[in-house]
Amino acid sequence: RYICCWYYPCSAVNTPASRPLTRRSKSYGRSCVEAPSYFWQTPGHLTVLKVPTSRGAAKSQLITNKVDPEHIALLVKNEWKLSYVTPLHHFRHTQLKSYSRHLAAFIAAENQQGVAVEVGLEAGFKVTFTAVLGLAETDEDAETVFIQIQSKPAFAAAADAPKVVWRGWLTCVNGDPEYLRSLPSDFVSLPLFCTSGSESLTTLVKTWFERAFDCNFGSLALNSTTLNWLAALWTGCHPTCNIRHLKLAWSLPTQPPLDVSYTVNPQDAWELWNSIHPEESTDDKIDIKEVQSFINGLETHFFRHFKIYLSAGTLVKVSTALGSAHLDGKIKIGNSDYITTLLTLLTESALLKMPT
Amino acid sequence: MADLSNLAGLGSDPSGEIDSSASSANNRSLRLAEKEKRKGEADPFGLAVKYLSQVEAGTVVRGNDELERNMLVVETVALSKGLPSEVITVLLDLALSLNAGTGNCARVLKFLIPATVVPQEAIVKGVSWLCVGKMPMNAQVLFVRWVLTVFDLIDCKDNLRSIYGFIFSFVTEENLCPFICHLLYLLTMREHVHPYRVRKLLDIQAKMGRQPFLTQLLALYKVFRPDLVTLSLPSRVRTGFKNHNSTWKVALSAVQRKNKGAVLVDQSLSLDVKEKPSTRKRVRCHLCNTVKSLTEHTLNSNKKVFCLQELRSFRELLENIHNIELPAQMGSLLGSALALHYLDCVQDESASLRLNFWLGHSLQEEFLLCPVDGSSDNTSEACRFLSTILFSQQFLQEGFSSTESFLYKFLSVWDGCLLRPQILDLLSDIPLMPSFYMHKLLFEPLKQLYFTSTVFFKVCMVLLFFFLSVCLYQARAWPCVLPRTMTLSGFMDSVMELVRFVGLLASEGLRLENCHVLLLNQTLAFYETVCDMFLKYSLPLIIMPPAGVFYPALFATDSVSVDRLGYIMYRYRKNLTLAKKQEQQREQTFHISRNTYKEFNRNLQAMVNSMWNSWWCIPGSDIEIDKDLISLSKVPEPWCRFDLIHHPALFSYAIEFHQRCWPERKNVDLGSIKTGKYWNWYMEFLFNQGFDGLNNFIQTNTGHSSGLSSQDDRQPTSQP
Repeated sequence: RYICCWYYPCSAVNTPASRPLTRRSKSYGRSCVEAPSYFWQTPGHLTVLKVPTSRGAAKSQLITNKVDPEHIALLVKNEWKLSYVTPLHHFRHTQLKSYSRHLAAFIAAENQQGVAVEVGLEAGFKVTFTAVLGLAETDEDAETVFIQIQSKPAFAAAADAPKVVWRGWLTCVNGDPEYLRSLPSDFVSLPLFCTSGSESLTTLVKTWFERAFDCNFGSLALNSTTLNWLAALWTGCHPTCNIRHLKLAWSLPTQPPLDVSYTVNPQDAWELWNSIHPEESTDDKIDIKEVQSFINGLETHFFRHFKIYLSAGTLVKVSTALGSAHLDGKIKIGNSDYITTLLTLLTESALLKMPT
Repeated sequence: MADLSNLAGLGSDPSGEIDSSASSANNRSLRLAEKEKRKGEADPFGLAVKYLSQVEAGTVVRGNDELERNMLVVETVALSKGLPSEVITVLLDLALSLNAGTGNCARVLKFLIPATVVPQEAIVKGVSWLCVGKMPMNAQVLFVRWVLTVFDLIDCKDNLRSIYGFIFSFVTEENLCPFICHLLYLLTMREHVHPYRVRKLLDIQAKMGRQPFLTQLLALYKVFRPDLVTLSLPSRVRTGFKNHNSTWKVALSAVQRKNKGAVLVDQSLSLDVKEKPSTRKRVRCHLCNTVKSLTEHTLNSNKKVFCLQELRSFRELLENIHNIELPAQMGSLLGSALALHYLDCVQDESASLRLNFWLGHSLQEEFLLCPVDGSSDNTSEACRFLSTILFSQQFLQEGFSSTESFLYKFLSVWDGCLLRPQILDLLSDIPLMPSFYMHKLLFEPLKQLYFTSTVFFKVCMVLLFFFLSVCLYQARAWPCVLPRTMTLSGFMDSVMELVRFVGLLASEGLRLENCHVLLLNQTLAFYETVCDMFLKYSLPLIIMPPAGVFYPALFATDSVSVDRLGYIMYRYRKNLTLAKKQEQQREQTFHISRNTYKEFNRNLQAMVNSMWNSWWCIPGSDIEIDKDLISLSKVPEPWCRFDLIHHPALFSYAIEFHQRCWPERKNVDLGSIKTGKYWNWYMEFLFNQGFDGLNNFIQTNTGHSSGLSSQDDRQPTSQP
């Protein structure tokens, strides 16, 4: 089977003994120290990543104590389109300045096909990479990276401030620690990529990342379960932070398609939630079953009035004052204090999309 | 000029055969002898070259008949035979120094056709004349064009590369720029790319606009130093440089044709593109992207490194294995045998992971997330992609984990039709895993596909057959390959599960498809491997085919199936006997269950009874049928319907035998075959038809040896 084992690596390359052995035991069935073979080894192989069936309630935390408020302000106001990214190879948080220069030159070169552009010369676009420190929750989480592209029109007046044309950030909050630990040290996993700005710039940025760090992007659509979770978690926050409304949107597969928009009074929603998951319950964990019955409760109520089974359709959008999330992978962050809960959920969705 | 006399001898060679290499020593003695012979004979070419080498600055050119005459002699030789390398040096010096005037400069350059090689010193000297700056512009252009034309004939280029800076300085000359860019393109190495040169080229670009020659050179610079310059080539870019060899093309090819076998020069010099710009429109298209990583190369720019893509042969790989640079996109290596060799050798975890991530992502995005719309173009591309993966996996003799996990996901949505050959092939590369996972990930989806598909797909159970043979192939070396988390017993369990699963599928399939001949044969082919697991693969496992496979094969209407079954039973017997022997000899760790022996004996009995003893439905066997029920069918002598004469698969042979024995008989009486010597003849006749399986079976189990020699009558095995 291992015909190629006749040659053993010379000292310049890794010898099998120097590799950590911990990660091997995880991939079931196919590890062997003497005849190691790495083609099969992908972290998180099949068994590692599981969809959690319970999670902690959303807790408010003054994020601005941990993170620069200016940075947080950048994350809060926009609508973000989500993507997932495979781990970045040789990405270094210390090199952000040079990445800024390269990406700017790359965009300039792509915009004027066939004309070479010197790296480091400001030409029409200014790119800034910023590390948003403090958003990471665990030691395994890599720090968030924020990217901003400003355009400087050639004929703009000197006083004109450069216009921000694109924003995006790569993040990882409470990523599965076992998965993250299993990656070799020259990979940085920032699985969630949020963008806001023109699609063409998004494509350029993605292309640049793919070439520079040998990673791949794919669009991240959320599933109904994630939306259900968000609806429940956000509703649970009502006593501490007014969620103002719980807006849900369903799409029903009728001819013609029927879109249902369902706005619930926050207090009513909270009381329903509280009847399912009492606030004073000793266990802090929320089970997926509770979430399901919360949504079922809302659906039953709707049926009583309109005789429409919402469960026959799909939940498309959830929105409260804390934020909104759409099935096709668009989110908005309303309140920075609950950002961790949202990002944890999204990081998890992104990691589940990782090719294993 | 010391060797000019030698040269003269060379040039005057009457046969017109110019030595393939001016410096070759093998013909030296011959040449000396010839020179001896022709001593005193005037050699016009040698003399002419000698004369031209002595032309000094300030020589009057106009009306100089002697110069003209000598020039003509050299020109004639040059255009017919080409010039030896020393003469090229002399003439190039003469032309570029303008000693013979500007007119003659162009003239000399035009007939400067090398017979073999061009010494690089001549070119270096030429460039230094260029630096003097006396030459008129058209002569300069002509010189550089000539260098480009003969570039592949220059013997060695290292000195030329060391004066890269001098050559580079001419890019500012507007007329020379295209040609200089081309020359630089051919000479550039990584160490030549510096920020100030990049800036200079960008200045020129700003002045001249996007010229193809500048773009090409800059694109090369970008390949070497992506941290200095970046550039994106439009999809339809005019690739390469223009041809500059028009002046010499005809003469050069004529000379080369004459000196065939000396040096082969590529006439399409201009398109010597080192880097193929990729279209990179789609994920899979970036397979040949050669951009280097931004971050690292500055660190090791002094060290000589090789890109994996640049390597051409296995020898090159071996020689440079210690300083190989991986490409920025590992996906580009998929399908390259050399690269896979390398990866398998060094076992760079990150590199393999990158490849795996890319592969997993591509498969996922192409086949799972974006539904294939079924257009033929799309499918053929997907087909190519999967074939590349297959090639790589077969090369490595193991599957990528990303393909594996992709397949598990894909099986649940697969219609059993899309890209079937590729998917089945990929499935056969899946390694064996614990039976729990095998059931969940593999058997369940396959079962569903199997029972809802056409007979052809069922026949494609070949897949499982292949699959198993791969597992067994692994098993051959199991003491060392056995995965750490999988114990020997776990491994055996998995193999057993797999065989049982195939048995189940096969018997159900045969029932559903009315014992389709193709399916039956495929199943028997599978069992041909299974029956020999102990002997051939030293796997202590013997698993009998289920009744749903055994009886359809025994009562099959085609003789091939029956013969195969005979062979299988024969091999089972061999395996069991050996296992038994080993078990008795020493306390073996494995133990073949009584049930296996029982099963085997039951099958054996059924087979021997029906074929040999003409009594197929013995009371107490699997296929006992009520006598009254059989008599209802009104078949005469029902018990011997499946013996070697009346078996539907062998019936036609019996008839033929009968006809040959008693050609005059009108009434066919097959019973007469059984009498006396005819029986032995019939056996011989039957086994001569190629039924080796049956032959072996009959011989070992009944002792009948087709009339050769009487063996001791062995009873069917009945132990334990």
